[in-house]
Amino acid sequence: MVFMKSTTAVGTPRRKTHHGGPKGRSTRSGPWAVVVLCLVIALFSLLPLGYVAVMTVDAGWDTVVKLVFRARVADLLLNTVALVVITVPLCVVLGIAGAWLVERTRLRGHKFWAVMLAAPLAIPAFVNSYAWVSAIPSLGGIFGGVLISTLSYFPLVYIPVAAVLSRMDPALEQTGSSLGLGPWRIFFRVVLPQLRLATAGGALLVSLHLLAEYGAFAMIQFDTFTTAIYDQFRSTFNGAAANMLASVLVLLCLLLLLGETKARGSARYARVGAGAQANPARLRLGLFQLPGQLFLVALSVLALGVPLFHVFRWLIAGGTAIWTRDALIQALLQTLGYGLVGAAVTTVLAFPLAYLVIRHPGPVSKMLEGANYISSSMPGIVVALALVTITIHNVPAIYQTAVVLVGAYALLFMPRALVNLRAGLAQAPKELDEAAQALGKPPLLAFLKVTLRLTAPAAAGGAALVFLGIVNELTATLLLAPNGTTTLATEFWSLSSEIDYTGAAPYALLMILLSAPMTYLLFAQSKKAAGQ
Amino acid sequence: MTPPRRPVPALAPKLEFEPTPGHVTDHLQVTGARKSFGGTEVLKGVDLTVAQGRTTAIVGASGSGKTTLLRLIAGFEAADAGSIFLDGTEVAGPGKWVPAHKRSVGYVAQDGALFPHLSVGQNIAFGLPERGRAANTRVGELLEMVSMDHSYAKRRPSQLSGGQQQRVALARALARRPELMLLDEPFSALDAGLRVATRRTVSKTLTDAGVTTILVTHDQAEALSFADQVAVMRDGRLAQIGSPFVVYTRPSDRATAEFLGDAVILEAWMEGSLALCSLGGIPVRRPPVQGRVHLMLRPEQIRITEGGKIRGKVVDTDYFGPETTVRIQLAPIVVDEGRPVDPHQPVGGEVINIRHWNAMLARPGTELSLKVVGEGVVFPWEG
Repeated sequence: MVFMKSTTAVGTPRRKTHHGGPKGRSTRSGPWAVVVLCLVIALFSLLPLGYVAVMTVDAGWDTVVKLVFRARVADLLLNTVALVVITVPLCVVLGIAGAWLVERTRLRGHKFWAVMLAAPLAIPAFVNSYAWVSAIPSLGGIFGGVLISTLSYFPLVYIPVAAVLSRMDPALEQTGSSLGLGPWRIFFRVVLPQLRLATAGGALLVSLHLLAEYGAFAMIQFDTFTTAIYDQFRSTFNGAAANMLASVLVLLCLLLLLGETKARGSARYARVGAGAQANPARLRLGLFQLPGQLFLVALSVLALGVPLFHVFRWLIAGGTAIWTRDALIQALLQTLGYGLVGAAVTTVLAFPLAYLVIRHPGPVSKMLEGANYISSSMPGIVVALALVTITIHNVPAIYQTAVVLVGAYALLFMPRALVNLRAGLAQAPKELDEAAQALGKPPLLAFLKVTLRLTAPAAAGGAALVFLGIVNELTATLLLAPNGTTTLATEFWSLSSEIDYTGAAPYALLMILLSAPMTYLLFAQSKKAAGQ
Repeated sequence: MTPPRRPVPALAPKLEFEPTPGHVTDHLQVTGARKSFGGTEVLKGVDLTVAQGRTTAIVGASGSGKTTLLRLIAGFEAADAGSIFLDGTEVAGPGKWVPAHKRSVGYVAQDGALFPHLSVGQNIAFGLPERGRAANTRVGELLEMVSMDHSYAKRRPSQLSGGQQQRVALARALARRPELMLLDEPFSALDAGLRVATRRTVSKTLTDAGVTTILVTHDQAEALSFADQVAVMRDGRLAQIGSPFVVYTRPSDRATAEFLGDAVILEAWMEGSLALCSLGGIPVRRPPVQGRVHLMLRPEQIRITEGGKIRGKVVDTDYFGPETTVRIQLAPIVVDEGRPVDPHQPVGGEVINIRHWNAMLARPGTELSLKVVGEGVVFPWEG
C-alpha cells in the first residue's frame, strides 16, 4: 500500500501543490515546489530498500530464521565475502601502483599508460568473463571470480587515485623531505594518507560491483548472492527465499556503505592556501624502469589483450554470417532506444535533486542526497525484484512494460547524472540568475536562459554516462524487459548461455565500442573533479 | 516576455498623487525593514532614504546585513516586515511584493556575474527590448559610456580583465535605463590600482547618467570617497547616516568612529565644552554628557610642533615610506593647581598612534611637543 502510493505519485511528479500564493512570491515558493518534487523522487528511489524491509518484516521471524540460517546461505556468504575480501585489496594495490607509476615517476610513455590503465572499464565484466572462458574453458570457482573481477574493476580504484596524485601539491612532499623523510617514507607517510578518500571511494565502488554483478559470475558458474537470487527467481518466481537472499545482500551493501563512511573519516584533504601550484615532481625510476614497464604490459595483456583477442577470434571464426541476423539489428535499435529514453528520464529526475543540493544546501537536501546515495547502491537484482513484485501486486497495468524498465534504469544510474549536474550547476551560480532578473527577465525565463543553458553541457555528459550504463546493463534488464524486447546485453547473454560464442561476438564488440567513449569521459572528468 | 516598462524618468518627477513627506524628492525610501534567515535576525529594522540622483554608500563589516538590505531593495528577497518605496510606488510592504524583474533597478554583483555563455555584446544586450541593428547601436553607446572600445563587443567575458568585466556589468545594468543602480561590492575583487581607476569610471558614468546609486562596501575609504551620503551599518541596524565629512569627523559612537578610520581614544573629563585629557583641554561641540568620558580624535588632528605644553615621548615607530607611524607615550593629565580634584577624574598618560611624514624626527626616546587641531568628539564612558 505504501508502494501503491509512491508509485502512482511518480506518475505525476510535476504536479505542484499551491504554487505561488496570493502575494506571488515566486522566489520563495520555488524551493518548496522543488523540495516536494525531490521528496517524491527520493521516495521512489527508496522503493527497493523499502521493499526488502517490508518483505523481511512480513515474512516473520520464523521464516527469516528458516530461510537465512541454512547451509546454502552460509556457502553464498562465504563465496561473496571471500570474493570481496580478496578482490578489493588486489584492486587497491593494482590501482595505486598503476596510478603512482603513471603520475609520479619518469615512466616511459606515461601518457599512453594512463589511458591504457583506464581502458579495461570499456569491457563489460560479463564480456571479460566470456573471453576468459573461451581461453580457459575450465575456469571457475573463487579463483576465476577473483581473476575476472580484479581485471575488470581495478580501474575503479586507479582512476580516482590517479586524479588525486596528479593534483597533489608537490610542496607537501618537499616539506616531507625537508623534515628528513626518504622517498619511501614520504610515500607511506605523506602521499598514501592523502589517497585515503579516493581509495575508499574506489574500493566501495569495486565492492558494490562485486555484490551486484551477475553475468560475469554466472558465466563461470561461481555462485554469489546475486546469481543465487536470480536462479531462485527463475525457478520459483516470487518466492520468500529469493526475498530473504535479497535482504542479506542489501544488508551487506549497507555494511559496505557504513564501512566506507568510517574509512573516509571526517577529514578533508583540500589544499590550504591560494596561489598557483607547481607540477608534481616525477621520481627517477632507474633500474626499476624495466620491471615497471613489464608490470604494465602484463596487466594490460590480461585485462585488455585477452578479452579483445577472444572477441576478435570469435568474430573472425563467425565470418560475415553473424552480422546479418535480424536479431542483431533489433537488439541494437532497442538498446539505443532504451538508452536514449532512460538517459533523458534519469537526467530530468536528477535535476531537481542537484538543484536543491547546490542552490539550497541544508539538512533537507543533505538527507535527500543521502537517501539517493543509499538507494542507488542497491544491486540491480534487488531493484528488479522489488519492481517486479510491486508492479504485479499494486499496478499490474504497467507490469513488464517499458515504463518499469526505464524506472529501474533511473534508479540504478541516477548518481551518474547527479554528479554531473551538480558540477554543472556549481558553474552556474545563483548570481547569474539574479543578474538576469535585475535585467527584467521573469524568474522562469531567467532560469531557462541562464541556469539551464549553462548546465546543458554537464547534463549532456551525465546523460551520456547513463546511456552507456544502460547499454551494458544485464541483470535488471533480464528480469524487467517486456516480452520480445532484447538489448545488446541480454542478446549477448542468451547467445553465450547457449554456447553460441561466435554469434555472441558481434554483440560483445558493439558493447565495447559503445563503452569506449564512456570510459574516456570518466577518465577526462576525473582529472577535472580531483581535489574535491 | 518584456516586462512593462516604467516611463523614462523625467528631470522633475511628476506628482500624480497626494504628495506625502518623503515621497517627492526621496527616490528610495526603506522603512522598518526586517529580515531573518533561519532564526537569525540579519536586519533589525532599517530606515533609509536616498534622494534622486544622489549616491549613497552602505558601509559595514561583513555580516552586518548590508548585502541583505541591498537584496531586499533589488527584489531578490522579500522583507519579513517594513516597506520599500521606489519613486513613490510601494514595491515591498505588507501584502505587496514586486519581483526583481519589474522593479526597474540595475544591479551589479561582486564579481560582475557576466553570463559566461554570451559575448560581451550579448551580455549588454541581454535586457534590451531592441533587437538587431538598434540593439547593436545601443550596445556601442553603452560601451562608450563605460569607456570601452566598440571592438570589445565580440569578446568573451573570460577574455576581459576584472576591471573590464565590472565595467561591462555596469553597462549591462545601465542598458535598461534603470532609475536606481545597486552596486554590491563591485570593486572588492579588483587589485588596488585597478580598483581606484574602475571606481572613478563607474562613479563618473553614473553621475553623468544621473542615476540614483547605492553602493555596498566594507571598505570605509571607498565609501567616503564614492558617496554623497554614507550609511554605517552595524549588527543589522544603521548606526549613522550622513555626509562623508560628518560621519568621519563626528561619528555617533565609538564603534562607528573606529570602523571609519584610525581613531585616538583618550580618557577625558568633560566640563562645559572643554574636555580635559592628556593632550590638554580639547573643545567639543554639543557634548552629550559631562564628567568622565571617552574623547575621540583623528590621528591627523594631532601634530608635532616646536615648543608647547603638551609633551610626549616616542616609544617606537613603523616606517611606511611616505609616512611613519609614531607611538607616543603621553604625560599624565595636568590639573590646574588649586582646583578641587574629582575622585573619578581620569589620570591619562596613554600611548597613542599618530602619523608623521618625517621619519628622522621621531626616534625612540625623543621628547616631542604636540598640539591638537580642531574639535574632538566625546562618547559616554563605558566601564
